[in-house]
Amino acid sequence: MLREAYPFVEDSFSRFPSQSNIYGLCQAGEQELLAATLKGKVVSFRYQELQQKVRPVAKEVQFTYIPVDAEIVSIDAFNKSSPKRGLVVGITFIKDSGDKATPFLNIYCDYEPGSEFNLESIAQSCLNLELQFTPFQLYHAEVQCPDEGLETVFLLSGHDQRIHLFKENASLHQFEEQPVEKLFPELQQLPSNVLWLDMVSVAVGRRLSAYGCQNGCVGLALVNQSGPEVLQSWRVQFDSPISTVLLFPLSCQTKSSEASGEKSEEVSGYNLVITSTIEMAVVYRDVQECGLARSTCLSGSDQWDAVLCALVIDLDFDGQKEVLLGTYGQELLCYKFRPAGSGRDGEFQLQWRRSFKSPLLSIIYLDLTGDGLRELAVLTLKGLHILQHSLACTADLVLQRLAHRVSALAACSELQPHEAADTEDSHAPAPIQGVTNQTPAC
Amino acid sequence: MRSLNFVHRVSLDFTGTMFPHAICLGDADNDSLNELIVGDTSGKLLVYKNDESKPWITRTCVGMLTCVAVGDVCNKGKNLVVAVGAEGWFHLFDLTAASGSKSDSSSQHEFLCHDDQKPFFTQHIPANTKVILISDIDGDGRCELVVGYTDRVVRAFRWEEPSDSSDGGSGQLVLLKKWLLEGQVDSLAVNPGPEGLPELMVSQPGCGYAILLCTWTQQDSTESEDDAPATPGSDGPSRDVVLHLTSGRIHNKNVSTHLIGSISKGSKEESSKCGLFALCTLDGTLKLMDSSEQLLWSVQVDHQLFALQKLDVTGDGRDEVVACAWDGQTYIIDHNRTVVRFQFDENVNAFCAGQYTCKEGKNSPCLVYVSFNQKIYIYWKVALERMESTNLLRVLEERPEFKSQLKVLGVDAEDSTAVRDLVADVLYQDAQT
Repeated sequence: MLREAYPFVEDSFSRFPSQSNIYGLCQAGEQELLAATLKGKVVSFRYQELQQKVRPVAKEVQFTYIPVDAEIVSIDAFNKSSPKRGLVVGITFIKDSGDKATPFLNIYCDYEPGSEFNLESIAQSCLNLELQFTPFQLYHAEVQCPDEGLETVFLLSGHDQRIHLFKENASLHQFEEQPVEKLFPELQQLPSNVLWLDMVSVAVGRRLSAYGCQNGCVGLALVNQSGPEVLQSWRVQFDSPISTVLLFPLSCQTKSSEASGEKSEEVSGYNLVITSTIEMAVVYRDVQECGLARSTCLSGSDQWDAVLCALVIDLDFDGQKEVLLGTYGQELLCYKFRPAGSGRDGEFQLQWRRSFKSPLLSIIYLDLTGDGLRELAVLTLKGLHILQHSLACTADLVLQRLAHRVSALAACSELQPHEAADTEDSHAPAPIQGVTNQTPAC
Repeated sequence: MRSLNFVHRVSLDFTGTMFPHAICLGDADNDSLNELIVGDTSGKLLVYKNDESKPWITRTCVGMLTCVAVGDVCNKGKNLVVAVGAEGWFHLFDLTAASGSKSDSSSQHEFLCHDDQKPFFTQHIPANTKVILISDIDGDGRCELVVGYTDRVVRAFRWEEPSDSSDGGSGQLVLLKKWLLEGQVDSLAVNPGPEGLPELMVSQPGCGYAILLCTWTQQDSTESEDDAPATPGSDGPSRDVVLHLTSGRIHNKNVSTHLIGSISKGSKEESSKCGLFALCTLDGTLKLMDSSEQLLWSVQVDHQLFALQKLDVTGDGRDEVVACAWDGQTYIIDHNRTVVRFQFDENVNAFCAGQYTCKEGKNSPCLVYVSFNQKIYIYWKVALERMESTNLLRVLEERPEFKSQLKVLGVDAEDSTAVRDLVADVLYQDAQT
């Protein structure tokens, strides 16, 4: 019964020449993925339309200045905050030339007008930074800079118990390390090495930051972006290294009316899912209000070895997000939120699980095929799986909802023929912004 | 090339060693659900059922089993299991009753010394068997048994019983014909010819094949019952063997070649005339042809293909060609040359594909791999929605109501960005259900 609920069909599997790790997958641009493998190879994956056919294409991208003996640690990519344009790719690796291992951060970015989004040419323009620490997760976040407006920066955690910030210097056309506390005061004086970092902008001018450490400590902070100043912070101690922390909004059963389209109003609050290598995964509910006080366990999530990756998405299109966990024990678990009953708190229940042939390292949900429907990309030790929603069922759902819209439109136009057209137009762009806001970290 | 990873599999215990043709899928006990039949080199015949890792039934035969098959070889309207050893011992098992008695005896596998364990018929036929086929090869509606030998000989037999005998026992195999071929015979197949009559085909080295004529249908059958037609003195093929060499780049004329026939085209009428067959070679050539010798496609891969099967993985009635290489690389190719690849992670001792009842109590398309580490792996969930990758917009475009809905909603169907945004919006924002 558990298996039947599994809504995906595998569309393609790309085998990699060497293994990857939990920091090895990122989204690059709208419809493309980059996966880094240990032995210095970076593979780009996308769907190509050729001769009226949709074909999956996995191709090695030759990023320059990655020596042959390099072992890639992490990869990340982002689009620069507007009004600037361009894709930036960061790759950290360790060059082991025998006697001494040297870590590096390479940042790739093309300033030539017209080729800012061309991966091939981006891969050729490299800024090579030697690091004084062993790098872990490479993360990016959009931040309000005091005099420059919005800016997306790299945040790199290291084994020196610090998080390092790399920011573009617009006049020099290059990235440089800057003190992290100026923009991220919550990321100083950390208790241990940070293994995973996640941030999300909440209400106007505020953000929530969460980090999970090697010693099992999880930190959470509510920060006022202008200043910036830490408004409130919490810490909690686990017994094992933290593999993922993920902040996500969860809309409760409060039926959102179509007219009041504002996303933030239907959200009951932000939640924090924490996965650790030994213990069960935990969700802290409504962290903005309650901090780390209301916790609920994802029961059974410790049954399949360490949980290595997590993702929160709405994969059955019911407006309610599900928590996906990928384990070293080769299982993908899906937990669904059951809203609170009478006097009882809501809880997460295992809805289905699916076995893979090797340990799961990372998962991303994005629209690779360019049809509005997103696909689930699962990075395992052996390669990259692309899982597509079963198209026949999804098509039925789309048609059913379109029919619903058509009838709503017809009912509306009978009453107010002019206004109906207006709401339909204004409705369309608003949610798309909402989507980008919700998924800052992949 | 699209590549997939099947994960739903069961592993069966198999401790012996086996020949690559001593495996088949078929309904051994006439319950309309298929079993897996395997013969090993010590003469054990194993029948696996469902997802049980231990054999459901074990039988002992004489000699090294080189080939097994399931079919209505006696033309009695029920399937029997055939196991043939290298030394020429032909065994016939009737497992229909076994399913009944089995359910009574609390599914233990220890009743080896029972009387039922003996084959219901044995006969010695010429030795050095390699591959067998149970099928109607002369178009009389009755099944014949065709045996391919390691010494480049093919013999056809028919089960005959004296008309007065009441119940089995007195019947035996009667030789119909012997063909002598130039090269090794790796596979036997029957394929509907251009006129709709079945043609017996055998593979020949170098991506070739030969059609063996069933001369007894024209001549008096008494003439062909001895070994006369292929006279020992006249070396080379006689007139009853029509050799075809397929064109194209064949690097090695002696390369081992496999063949599969009667590949379904979808409907019965279409398939019965000018049937499709496929060839594969150890140096990686794959071809799909029809019986008028027209080439439909040819694919070159860099894996050593050693087994060729047909299997309808999409459930559209059309069989896909499935080829497996020694290193586990498996190719599934449809009639339009769309390829789906699957890498089985071990070296493969023997491979077969077909319908098998593993879980869920019904036949489903399965891939069966015999590994070298005493396991047989059955991938039981290999059915695909489609062979090609596609996206939701293409699926929606095939639905007539989609266009009209777009029109009403004022979205231009040609503007793919607008349609995409609408679909994304409908899926991820409308949460009314």
